[in-house]
Amino acid sequence: MMDEPVLYRESFTIRGSDFEHGGDAAAAVKAAMKDLGLDAATIRRLSIANFEAEMNVIMYAYDARMDLLITPSAIRVVVADHGPGIENIDLAMQEGYSTATAEMRARGFGAGMGLPNIKRSTDSFEIESTPGQGTTLRYAVQLAQDPAKT
Amino acid sequence: MESIHSVSLDETRCVGCVACCKACPTKAIRVRSSLMRIDPGTCIDCGECIRACDYDAVHARTSSPSHLKRFKYTVAIPSTTIYTQFGPDFTPPQVARALVANGFDAFYDVSWMCEMVSRAVDAYLSDCGGPWPKISVTCPAIIRLILIRYPDLVPHLIPVHTPRELAAKVARRKYAASLGMQPDQIGIFYITPCSAMMQSIVAPVGLAESNFDGAFSIAEMYGPMLRTLKSDPEALPDERFNPSGLAWAMSGGETSGMRNKNSLSVTGVHDVTHVFNTIEAGKFQNVDFIEAYICPDGCVSGQLLIEGRYAARRTLQRIQARLKGESRVAEEKVRSMFRDHFFDMEDEIKAPVIEPMTETLQQAIRRRQEKHRLLEELPRKDCAACGAPDCTTFAEDILAGQAVLEDCVFVKLKMLGP
Repeated sequence: MMDEPVLYRESFTIRGSDFEHGGDAAAAVKAAMKDLGLDAATIRRLSIANFEAEMNVIMYAYDARMDLLITPSAIRVVVADHGPGIENIDLAMQEGYSTATAEMRARGFGAGMGLPNIKRSTDSFEIESTPGQGTTLRYAVQLAQDPAKT
Repeated sequence: MESIHSVSLDETRCVGCVACCKACPTKAIRVRSSLMRIDPGTCIDCGECIRACDYDAVHARTSSPSHLKRFKYTVAIPSTTIYTQFGPDFTPPQVARALVANGFDAFYDVSWMCEMVSRAVDAYLSDCGGPWPKISVTCPAIIRLILIRYPDLVPHLIPVHTPRELAAKVARRKYAASLGMQPDQIGIFYITPCSAMMQSIVAPVGLAESNFDGAFSIAEMYGPMLRTLKSDPEALPDERFNPSGLAWAMSGGETSGMRNKNSLSVTGVHDVTHVFNTIEAGKFQNVDFIEAYICPDGCVSGQLLIEGRYAARRTLQRIQARLKGESRVAEEKVRSMFRDHFFDMEDEIKAPVIEPMTETLQQAIRRRQEKHRLLEELPRKDCAACGAPDCTTFAEDILAGQAVLEDCVFVKLKMLGP
């Protein structure tokens, strides 16, 4: 999958603590996917993942780039942030685990469902993190093999 | 006059300014050859173009008075917003009497049916299994918005008839029986606060044919009714009306009459879009019911009303305080009617079938790249002088072969040289 040619790439930026524009990057990616004529199920699944990933950056990191990549077989998203990184990835992947502050919880976040939600709504999910530097998420939804579309 | 969806354009008045084009929330309007043009496939009948027009060129399409003559007996069913239009001193029965005096044989009240539908929606919410949240079908512009922009939310729409359609059905049955007439000899007319409700009669959703025969706007009835009210100020007691049902005239009214309080009320196209995007992102699943109106305050801010919405809200509150009753509908009776499918929509609401994409993914990618390239050339002023509401839409129009780059005045200036 990683060797596949990238047919299209578009980048979106996310700033940490920018709650005011929370969800804007996910919305822009969704508009791009609609414009590209992707099917509704793919758009829905990736939009759920993108929103969670974007809010993670806003809550915990300093800034990030969200890349939408299209390959012949999949729609891929890479979210690479500069931030504190994740000490214990296994723990972060557990449903209900969260390091959110009381203030974040008051805003309705920090239920500990972010990363598990991304994994659940996509076909592949990878996470890489270096404490003190940042975290990179890579996830994808496979395209239905339709010869007319490739 | 050319009819376009729920609105008609008076071409002699349209000057080709771009106010309507910029106001349209779904970007359905273009200005071509100095005239407004609406894409019927994208229009949601919200009536923002009627509000935006400073030249009185955009009008809601309503029935003509001659339409009434086709029927032996005519019944007016007004939106509950009509009682908010003449100040708190005229009671609902006085307003109803003034309405009948201006062209109809009878009046039928919808406020009772509003409370019954509240109970029916309660019953539906406790029986249905999701997907959550469920969304009200009262505002036809909201339904159109969902069908066109949010097809994934179609299963969230509540398949319970609106109070106005049910009232029309019951009224036809009642008058046909009591007068010994055929049902089609009775003309049932809605008196509407907005263009969307008018359009819901022409092109109903969830039923094959509307129970109404036509509609008149409250704005066009206002003048004659006010004259009648002033010439016949005899007060009438208003206890016949249902206070909980009258509350449907403004946002929050629908939810306030429900037992289920796990709901939220959202109004105005901007906020509605935000909430629908949020639902699409998988949020709000812990909410049972969403009351959504395209107008900023619900029906009381419909574009076919005369009284300003703040004064109208105040009048409604005064009427409700006077009526002060609690629920007036027998809950068990509604439950049994619900089980007997009295409230069911006849047809399932279905998302429109989207034509299969003729474009391959590669072509779509090239089109998007080309759009980004075009945007580099465009001024990004979103001035709409080209006839499209903004530069992005203009670029899309160019790629669809509906405009040419030289339609942009800035591009043209550059071409002419320094």
